[in-house]
Amino acid sequence: MAQESTEIARGLRRRDPDLLDRLIERYQHRLLRYLMCLTGRRELAEDLFQETWIRVLERGHQFNDKYAFGTWLFAVARNLVIDHMRRKQPASLDGLLNDGEAAFDVPATGQASAFDTTLQREQNEHIAAGMQHLPAEYREALVLRFHEGMSLEEIASVARVPLGTVKSRIYRGLSALEPWLKGAAL
Amino acid sequence: MNTDAHERARKLIALAGSQELSPADRISDQPSSNAWLAAHLETCASCRAFAENVGETIRGLRAIPIAAERSLVSTTQMRVRRRALELQRQRERRWLVSVSCTAVTLCALLSTVALWRGFEWLGTRARLASSVWQVGFLVFCVMPALLVGILLLAKDKHLADHTGSYTG
Repeated sequence: MAQESTEIARGLRRRDPDLLDRLIERYQHRLLRYLMCLTGRRELAEDLFQETWIRVLERGHQFNDKYAFGTWLFAVARNLVIDHMRRKQPASLDGLLNDGEAAFDVPATGQASAFDTTLQREQNEHIAAGMQHLPAEYREALVLRFHEGMSLEEIASVARVPLGTVKSRIYRGLSALEPWLKGAAL
Repeated sequence: MNTDAHERARKLIALAGSQELSPADRISDQPSSNAWLAAHLETCASCRAFAENVGETIRGLRAIPIAAERSLVSTTQMRVRRRALELQRQRERRWLVSVSCTAVTLCALLSTVALWRGFEWLGTRARLASSVWQVGFLVFCVMPALLVGILLLAKDKHLADHTGSYTG
């Protein structure tokens, strides 16, 4: 991992477009998912997705190869989201609340009986709906933890908050999603 | 069993969520916490239900697929390449400007020294007092700037006369 980070850092300092192409390919889904979880809107997430990579190109020399590239990338994306929100209204991620727009589209899951699939799909829809009602900080912590598989320390570094805050956001986020699992909060 | 115990158990369960909650002995880094949680889960039905729900929720979260479309990726790659080219051109231009500035500064220094020597030689040949040729040198150096200034002022006056923007 350290060697890979060093190579990425070297390429970013050179502003190597081929390296950036490869990185965009590799992180496309993860970055978009993260941005969607923060913004809750696909179009905005897509705009910020592009801006993030432009920022990576421009500020690539700031990447420290002691850390994983993904962690730095998410931190860059997060700062862009905050900048965007500040332009709209002075806020941190607190401002990223829901506007009722469907951000998470849940397709059918495969390889199960029709009943199970329907049930699973329903549950996923409930959770997706629940996610939209969570504060952005909780959504962020949950996505980074359970989608990206980041360690608590990595999440703390992306979100620039103490470890204890990350723990409590995950706990509160999951607890808040619990009623949605059964569709009780719908 | 007090509320704190449930709270503690639920926090441990939530934080261990990425490990799918299967073996209780992997739930925390601290073996004492793991053992305590395992024991707690055996006796507490509500926390067991919470653990199951957390597992379901995490599976549900992971099942939310958000994929970037091909067009987004290719547009981004194109924009990044274009910006990289712009930055490279900017860097080249900056390099060119700095080289030109250095060259101009060097030329100015060399020509000033050469001119000074030239005026000194002329002054000596013409048996002038050193202050005289030094003033001559100063006037010669300042002359281009003075001429340009006068020309610009004349141009402004000319424009003002024709547009009538100045009333005074």
